[in-house]
Amino acid sequence: MVDFLFATTWLIPIYGLMGAILTLPWSLGIIRRTGPRPAAYLNILMTLLSFVHGSVAFAAVWTQGNIHLVWPWLQVADLNLTLTIDLSPISLGALEMVTGISLLVQIYALGYMEKDASLARFYGLMGLFEAALGGIAISDSLLLSYMLLEILTLSTYLLVGFWYAQPLVVTAARDAFLTKRVGDIILLMGIVALSSYGEGLDFSQLETWAESSTLPPLAAALLGLSLIAGPTGKCAQFPLNLWLDEAMEGPNPAGIMRNSVVVSAGAYVLIKLQPVFTLSPISEDVLILLGTMTAIGASLMAIAQIDIKRTMSHSTSAYLGLVFIAVGLGQVDIAFLLLFTHAVAKALLFMSLGSIILTTSNQNITEMGGLWSRMPATTTGYLVGAAGLITLFPLGEFWTMRRWLNGTWDVPLWLLGVIVIVNILNAMNLTRVFRLVFLGKPQAKTRRAPEVQWPMALPLVMMTVITIIAAIVPMQWPFWLSPYPPLDVASNAIAPWALPILMASGGIGILIGLKLNLQRTTARPTQVYLRFFQDLFAYDFYVERLYKITVVNGVAALSQIAVWFDRYIVDGVVNLVGLATIFGGSTLKYNASGQSQFYILTILLGVGALLWLIFTGQWTLVTEFWSTLGKSV
Amino acid sequence: MLSALVWIPVVGAIAILLLPQARAAQWARSIALGVAGVALLLTLILSFEFDPAAVAPQFAERIPWIEPLGLNYTLGMDGLAFPLIWLNSVLTLVAIFATRIDIERPRLYYPLILFLSTGAAGAFLAQNLLLFFLFYEIEIVPLYFLIAIWGGGRRGYAAMKFLIYTAVSGILVLTAFLGLVWASGAKTFDYEPLLQQHLPIDLQLILLITLLLGVFIKIPIFPFHTWLPDAHVEASTAVSVLLAGVLLKLGTYALIKFGVGLFFQAWVILAPGLAILATISALYGAFSAIAQQDMKKVVAYSSIAHMAYILLAASASTPLSMTAAIFQMVSHGLISALLFLLVGVVYKKTGTRDVHVLQGLLNPERGLPITGSLMIVGVMASAGLPGMVGFIAEFMVFRSTFPIFTVATLLCLVGTGLTAVYFLLMINRVFFGRLPDALATIPKVAFRDHLPSFVLTVLLIIFGLQPSWVVRWSETQATNFVVSPALRQTEIYSAPALAIPLPSLTP
Repeated sequence: MVDFLFATTWLIPIYGLMGAILTLPWSLGIIRRTGPRPAAYLNILMTLLSFVHGSVAFAAVWTQGNIHLVWPWLQVADLNLTLTIDLSPISLGALEMVTGISLLVQIYALGYMEKDASLARFYGLMGLFEAALGGIAISDSLLLSYMLLEILTLSTYLLVGFWYAQPLVVTAARDAFLTKRVGDIILLMGIVALSSYGEGLDFSQLETWAESSTLPPLAAALLGLSLIAGPTGKCAQFPLNLWLDEAMEGPNPAGIMRNSVVVSAGAYVLIKLQPVFTLSPISEDVLILLGTMTAIGASLMAIAQIDIKRTMSHSTSAYLGLVFIAVGLGQVDIAFLLLFTHAVAKALLFMSLGSIILTTSNQNITEMGGLWSRMPATTTGYLVGAAGLITLFPLGEFWTMRRWLNGTWDVPLWLLGVIVIVNILNAMNLTRVFRLVFLGKPQAKTRRAPEVQWPMALPLVMMTVITIIAAIVPMQWPFWLSPYPPLDVASNAIAPWALPILMASGGIGILIGLKLNLQRTTARPTQVYLRFFQDLFAYDFYVERLYKITVVNGVAALSQIAVWFDRYIVDGVVNLVGLATIFGGSTLKYNASGQSQFYILTILLGVGALLWLIFTGQWTLVTEFWSTLGKSV
Repeated sequence: MLSALVWIPVVGAIAILLLPQARAAQWARSIALGVAGVALLLTLILSFEFDPAAVAPQFAERIPWIEPLGLNYTLGMDGLAFPLIWLNSVLTLVAIFATRIDIERPRLYYPLILFLSTGAAGAFLAQNLLLFFLFYEIEIVPLYFLIAIWGGGRRGYAAMKFLIYTAVSGILVLTAFLGLVWASGAKTFDYEPLLQQHLPIDLQLILLITLLLGVFIKIPIFPFHTWLPDAHVEASTAVSVLLAGVLLKLGTYALIKFGVGLFFQAWVILAPGLAILATISALYGAFSAIAQQDMKKVVAYSSIAHMAYILLAASASTPLSMTAAIFQMVSHGLISALLFLLVGVVYKKTGTRDVHVLQGLLNPERGLPITGSLMIVGVMASAGLPGMVGFIAEFMVFRSTFPIFTVATLLCLVGTGLTAVYFLLMINRVFFGRLPDALATIPKVAFRDHLPSFVLTVLLIIFGLQPSWVVRWSETQATNFVVSPALRQTEIYSAPALAIPLPSLTP
């Protein structure tokens, strides 16, 4: 039985897809009598199935060894496309993570989306989401991963655009799709190139190819950059970071998925592509640069936000920035641990935020306060999630950072600086939000705020427990990807005092957050320089304006030029020719005078010319011309 | 067998023409549907007998017709024609089904649609250059009337523009054919013997350029494209489906069959220029589509952009790129047909296609939610979303051209990215947002209005998941074009075609 289940593990993503398809009768309005609930139950059942199936497989893979499945997909001429699936502890672990969080989120959504008429459509999209994510988890082929990432882009678009009647949602969905699409197209360029150079698009094949590749440096650098572009969009890294912030207009349960596992999917592919980045130092440097910019920049943006979801979404970009840095340094095991601990903690945080939003029907944190006594489970969830995100003993991030800084890996001083800054800023931001939302006096919108009902409370509490025990993973299994322990840099000078510094920085961040002068009514500071920085962060460093000036205006201008050219030049010439023809016709009509003498004269002239041609031997010239053409071969 | 495929629609058309006036309204549609169904069935039967591994045209028929002219009635089906015949049979049925039931003058309308189908099938199957030309020209006539009689407000202008453009296209193609046959001294216009022609290369270049100018009008490639948006905007839904899905393919069919097939030496010389032209056309179509206000114009310009990929693939002239070109034809045929059908539904129900007037049509109660959902699927397929046929077709195109025309390929990939931009802008304006009161009284859409779209959507997804079901029919033939007997003897055929060098960064 276990063997059978293990051998059919590749079916798990298809469960999600089946769930999505099964919702169609309800979302298309074919079944109306039952209401949309059965669709939701069906999807939860399918997810439960995939979770159970995945758990059995996950348990089995440790003893049974990896399985490598190859499907030949398309074979034409010199193109041979295969779709490959790899069942290993790491891929099944990722799958377990996806199905687990998806299961909790879907139960959570039962409560959160209770009053929504389009519940069936929501669950259909969640099923699609889960299927694509599960597929990415077990895919071992860049092509398959790319295809699934695109499906993910589509389902993000549809989920963000779920409440499509609201104007902000419309732009948010559009921006989410187009921003990711920019990254994806550049990634596709890289895939096309890799497929032309390499022997195959499987990650393992790419690894062996990268070891022996003789690509010129420029091509290698461009290739690396194009492969980075896709995950940059997916993981909301600078300069493709703003969509995640805007995407907060979508339903919150989808937001939980997006901020924990969906952004991680991009980084997961990035981790698998790491061998290709070793081809070019430029691509590694760019990874580190982008990661650093985003990690610090996004953390700064977060502290000026007053929308409860946006305060957290920027920190998602920041933590994934750390993952980018780790991949750029080639420390993929750390990247993987970071992804894991961040995803768990962030899912919990967003569940907690969702409870607040549903109960208070409000997302503005300056209008909140005093929720701690009214919503104990939510408060606990927030605290545990926040503690799991900053380096606080004994939660996940602490153990992950310990793995990173204990001397096993080469950690340069600047990196420690970056981590410390990110840690301070995030600790500060989380404390700030905590004070505004949970402490202080209750305000108008938070006065009557009961704890959420059980479909939301149960997953919230379960996620809290999971976050606490998730610390086992970085404690027990530090090496997921490297077959051998990496270089032992025990002599690394910063190793002994790096972790204490980091922990102290968390404490400092919390202290700053506690001391911060928070004004609820007017959140505008009076000092000019503070206002300047607040605006700078609140408007995301004006990156949006940057987009507008460069890409958006550029495309708009080019399209206007094209249309103008089309209408006045291309069509103008055509119409001019038409006009000339009509003019010529009108002139020639004077030939049709109606006098038979004139017609006879014309005919005689024509026949005369013909006779002259034939009798003087001119005609043969015409025929000979064609035959010489033939003979000259 | 093949003759039946060509002439059954004509028989049906004559039958409808002979219907008594009183019965016409009821029977014309059923007869047309029946005839198209029979043609589809016949295509299916042929598929069982068709051998994708064979090189020579199959089910060949040859009847001497006007021998002194070299015009013979020669039909045969090869791997290039096979998928296009399928496209023609399916889309003819779809177009007839998608026609309004209460169409005016059904006794004329349905025969014209059937004649159109005959023209296309005949051109795809003809193995004689003059016969091809005859069908290529014949098909203009019914289309002219279909636009001029059942079209929209500026139908006269659009139909005349279409007529003049395509007539010029026909003349250029004919000139190239005549020049080829007379100069090579061949006795007939049959296709097979002409493969052995040995014209001097400069004459070949002249003839090829003449031919290309002709087919570029038909495809259409920038700057010969302006007839297409006008024709699409004025044509009715069914006619747009056939125009985009089948008739444009006549151009690319001629491009590959005659351009690559007969003039390969000259083709290889022109190829870099063609790749640049394809890139310009793709980007130009995409940028123009962004600024359009009329949904149909958006789809029409997107059609121009996507047809350019076929030229790009053909210019790379490797076995893979030829297969990709054929696949892209099928892909574009299905996707653009679906998009035109859906725009047609929106137009029929709301009376407008203006993206600034339409809004919030996804509204589940009073809007067009299913049309909107299918539209999203179609648009995503066009933007190259994996899981649908657009992705793998374009992937094959780009993968095959990348080693040869690197920069052109990358720019065309940008064009693919722009597809998402213009279609998403359209979707966002038309389907998202709040349904305004002015649109709150949209009539319900019957299931039969959506049936053709559902069928096409299913096909899109099936071929997207199983591309080999399309590709395997044409692979041998596509390879044969670039390794045909005519060029094995020549020396010019060497490096650019088969060897895949490491790409340089210049085209």
